[in-house]
Amino acid sequence: MNTKTILITLTSFIAGAVFAFDPPSVGSAAPDFSLTDANGKPHSLSQYKGKTVVLEWFNPECPFVKKHYGSGNMQKLQQEYTVKGVVWLTIDSNAPGTEGNITPEEAQKITASWKTHQTALLLDPEGKAGRAYGAKNTPNMVIINPEGKIAYEGAIDSKATPNPADIPNSTNYVKAALDESLTGKPVTTSQTKPYGCSVKYKSS
Amino acid sequence: MLTAFRLAAYSIVCLSLFALAPQGQGQTYQGKELVKAELLSDTNAVVPGKPFTVGLLLRMAPGWHTYWKFSGDAGLPTELKWKLPAGWKVGEIQWPIPLKTIDPGDIQTYGYENEVLLVQEITPPAQIDNASVAFAADANWLVCERICIPGSATLQLELPTSTTNEPKNTDLFARFRRLLPQGWPEPKIATANWTRAGSDLRLSVKSATLAGYPSADFYPLPGVETVVGHPRVESRSANEIVFRVPLESASKDLSSMQGLVVFSQRPNGNDRAGWQTPISAIASASSAPAHGIFTFLFFGFLGGIILNLMPCVLPVISLKIFGSIQHAGQNRRKILRSGIAFAGGIFTWFVGLALLLIALKAAGREITWGGFQFTNPYFVLALSAIVLVFALNLFGVFEISLPQGVTRGLLSSTGGQQEAASFFQGLFATVLATPCTAPFLGTALGFAFAQSPAIILSMFVAIAGGMSAPYLLLCAYPAWLRFLPKPGPWMLHLKQFMGFLLLATLLFLLYVLGAQRGLEGAIWASCFLLVISIACWMKGAFILPTASVAERTVVRVIMLVIVLVSGVYFIGGKFESTNISSANSQLRGDWQAFTLERLQAELEQGHSVFVDFTAAWCLTCKFNEANVLESSAVRQAFQRHAIVKLKADWTNGDPVITKLLQQFGRPGVPLYVLYPGKSEEPIVFPELLTKSIILEKLETASRAVAAQ
Repeated sequence: MNTKTILITLTSFIAGAVFAFDPPSVGSAAPDFSLTDANGKPHSLSQYKGKTVVLEWFNPECPFVKKHYGSGNMQKLQQEYTVKGVVWLTIDSNAPGTEGNITPEEAQKITASWKTHQTALLLDPEGKAGRAYGAKNTPNMVIINPEGKIAYEGAIDSKATPNPADIPNSTNYVKAALDESLTGKPVTTSQTKPYGCSVKYKSS
Repeated sequence: MLTAFRLAAYSIVCLSLFALAPQGQGQTYQGKELVKAELLSDTNAVVPGKPFTVGLLLRMAPGWHTYWKFSGDAGLPTELKWKLPAGWKVGEIQWPIPLKTIDPGDIQTYGYENEVLLVQEITPPAQIDNASVAFAADANWLVCERICIPGSATLQLELPTSTTNEPKNTDLFARFRRLLPQGWPEPKIATANWTRAGSDLRLSVKSATLAGYPSADFYPLPGVETVVGHPRVESRSANEIVFRVPLESASKDLSSMQGLVVFSQRPNGNDRAGWQTPISAIASASSAPAHGIFTFLFFGFLGGIILNLMPCVLPVISLKIFGSIQHAGQNRRKILRSGIAFAGGIFTWFVGLALLLIALKAAGREITWGGFQFTNPYFVLALSAIVLVFALNLFGVFEISLPQGVTRGLLSSTGGQQEAASFFQGLFATVLATPCTAPFLGTALGFAFAQSPAIILSMFVAIAGGMSAPYLLLCAYPAWLRFLPKPGPWMLHLKQFMGFLLLATLLFLLYVLGAQRGLEGAIWASCFLLVISIACWMKGAFILPTASVAERTVVRVIMLVIVLVSGVYFIGGKFESTNISSANSQLRGDWQAFTLERLQAELEQGHSVFVDFTAAWCLTCKFNEANVLESSAVRQAFQRHAIVKLKADWTNGDPVITKLLQQFGRPGVPLYVLYPGKSEEPIVFPELLTKSIILEKLETASRAVAAQ
C-alpha cells in the first residue's frame, strides 16, 4: 500500500462518515419536534398523536412556494383538509440572515396577507425539525398518519416548475395521499422527488 | 467623397455585423443582472446538410448558479425549446460535467457557476432556399444563490447560408467540450459492475486509471420515478472504487442507474472528467466481452454440445447412433476408430470454417456465421440435394459405395470405408448444425469475430470439441453401448424410418428456399431434386455388381447427363430467374418490415420500437416467435405500451441487417432489440426469449421513456 492509497482510503472513510446520515424513510416513525408558532405558542408533534399531520416546509421568498400560494393552491388544500380534522404545520427552517427566514411578526403578517389556512406556521431557525426530516426543499411535504408513521414524503405535485399555469395540469400527490390515508387505504404514491428551492440551513 | 463612401461602407458592415451578432438577453433582479443568455454557433455559416453545433451560453453573476440535467436536492435543470424550420433536426443537450455543491443540511446540488455552454447539434436539411436562416429558442432556467429566481428568454440566432463555412467561437466551444463526459471506456481501462443490496445500489468500478485521481464521485441520473439519496464512496483501494447509491423510493426491480463516474485531482477541479455508466446489466453483458477468453472457450464447448440437440442435427445424430449400434457388435478398437473419425469430420469442418472465415476476414469481406451459408439459396439447394440423397439411401433405393481411390487416399488401414463414412457423417452433422446459432454459441462467436485469427481458430476448435465430446465418450466407453438394443431385423425399419426424418429436414430446407425465392423457386428446386432422385434410383437399379463395365458406364453417363441438363435448365435457368423474395412475404399480424429509415423515423416521432431480427431458416427464431412474441400476453403488452414492431428478415442476408447485427456483436440471428426512445440506449434480449423477460423489460423501458 503506497501513501496515495492510504490517503485515498482515509479520505473516503471521512467522507463516508460525514455523509452517512440518512433521513427517516416512508413507513418509519416520524421524529418528534417542538417548535413555537408566530404567536410564541409551542407545538410538538407528539401532542397531535392520533391525528393525521401534514408538514409543509416554507420559504416566502421562494418562487416555487410563491407558485402555490400566489395561485391559492396551497391555501385551498390547507382549508380543505384542516376542515376534515387534519393538522397542517407549515415550517420555516431557513436560518437567520438567509432569505426566507422570518421573524414572528413577519410570520403573522404573511399568514394574514396571504390568507393561509394552516393549523400553525412554525419557526425553526435552528433547522432542528428540518434536519430531523431531511427536508431539503421548499415546498417539501410530509404526511404523518395517526399512528405516527410517515405515510408520504416528497413533492406537492408532479410538475417541477415555478410556473403557476402548470398547476391545473399536474397531479397533486399530497391530495391523493391524504384522500387515501384518510379512508384507511394504503398510499399508492408514497415517495416522490421534492422540487423547489433548497432550505437554507444554519451551518452546523 | 472617398471618406464619406468609406464611412458609409463601414457603417453598413457594422450594421450587418450587429444584425448577425447573437443577441444576448439578460435576467435582472432588483436592478442586478443575474444571468445573461445568448445563443452561439461553432460556425460562421450554415452549409446545407452539414451538421453544426449551437450552444446556449449562460453567464451567471458571481455566487449564482444554474443546474445540471439532474439538479440534485434542489433546483431545476435548464430547458431549451427550439423553434426550427421544417426539415431541421436538433440533437440532445450535451451537458458539461457539473460542479457538486454541498450546502448546510447536507443539501447536494449539481450545477454551474460563472458560465456554462449547453451545446446541441443541429442538422440542416440538404437544401436551403434562403440566403440566411434565423433560429429561435425559448430558454428557461432557475438561477440560485441564497434565493432562487426563475429566468427565461426567447433567443435568436441568425446565420447566413453558404457552401463553405469557417469555425467560430472555437475557444469557448473547445473549453466546454473538454468538460463533456465520455462514454464508458473499454473493459481493459475500466469495468463497471452494479449490484443491488436492499435499498442500496452498489457500483463497483475497477480501473487503474482512477488511481491517479484522489477525487472520485458518482453523479446520478435517476429516472423520474426514482428518488435517489446521496451517492458516496463506500470503499476505495488502488484499483477499485465502490460507490453506494441509496434509493429512497421503493423500486424493487431497479438493478442499475445511469450516471457519471466523475474524477479529478480535487473535488470540482477544472480538470474534472467523467464516464457515462453503461445503462443496464443486459446491455453491458452482451456488448462488452467482460468474460475472459476461457469463459468464451467454455461457452463454445458447451454450445458445441448443445448443437447435438438442435432439431436440424437430430436426424444426423439418429444416424450416428444407428451407426454405433452397428458397431456395437464389432471390436472395441474399431468402435474407437470410428468415433475418432466422426470427431475428425467435425473438427475438419470447424477448422475449415475457421480458416475460411479468417481468410475472408483478411480479405475484408463482410461475412457472418450461419448466414453465410444459409442466406445463400444455392447453399440451401445443395444441402437439400445431399439430404435427399441420404434419405433415398436410407430407404434402400441405392447403396453408397465410396470410390476406392478416395477411401484409400484418406485412410490406409483396413475397414477404412466405415471410418470414411464416419468422417463424412461428422462433416455432415456439423454442416447441418451451423444455422442453429445456439444460445451460448451466439455470445461466444460474437466474441470470436472481433478477435485475432488465433482466437477464432481456438474458438471453433472448442465448438468442435463440444460437439464431438458425446461421441468420443461413447466410443471410449463402449460398455455404455450395452444399454442400446441388440441388432436385428428392426434395424432395417429403423433405417427406413430415419429416411423420413431426413425428408422432414428436406421440407424445412424447401421452406427456406421458398422464403428466399418464393413458391416458384421452391418448385423449380424440387424439379431438380426429382431428377436427382431418378439418378439415385438408376444407380441402385442398374449399377449392379453383375452388370458389365460397359453397362455401368452407360448408366453413369446417363445419370450425369440428366443431372447436368436438369441442373442447367431448372437451376441455371428457371430457379436463377426467380426474384429474391421480399421480406414482406413473411409479415403477419401487426409486424412491419424493417428498414433503417423506418426505425429512425419511428424513433424520431417518439415511438418505442422492437426489432425482431429473424430468418426463415432459423429455428430458434421460429420457436421464440411462436412461443413468446406471438403469445397473447406479449402481444397485449406490446399494444399496451404502443410499441412499434419491426421484423428484420435476414433470410437472404440483407447487408444492412448484417451490419446492424455486427454492431450488436452478434454473428447471426436471432437478435431481439428494444429501442425505448431516441435518446435511450437499446435493450438487447437474450437469444432464447421468455415471456417474463419481455414483459419486464417493456415495463422498465416505458417508464424510462416517461421519465424524459
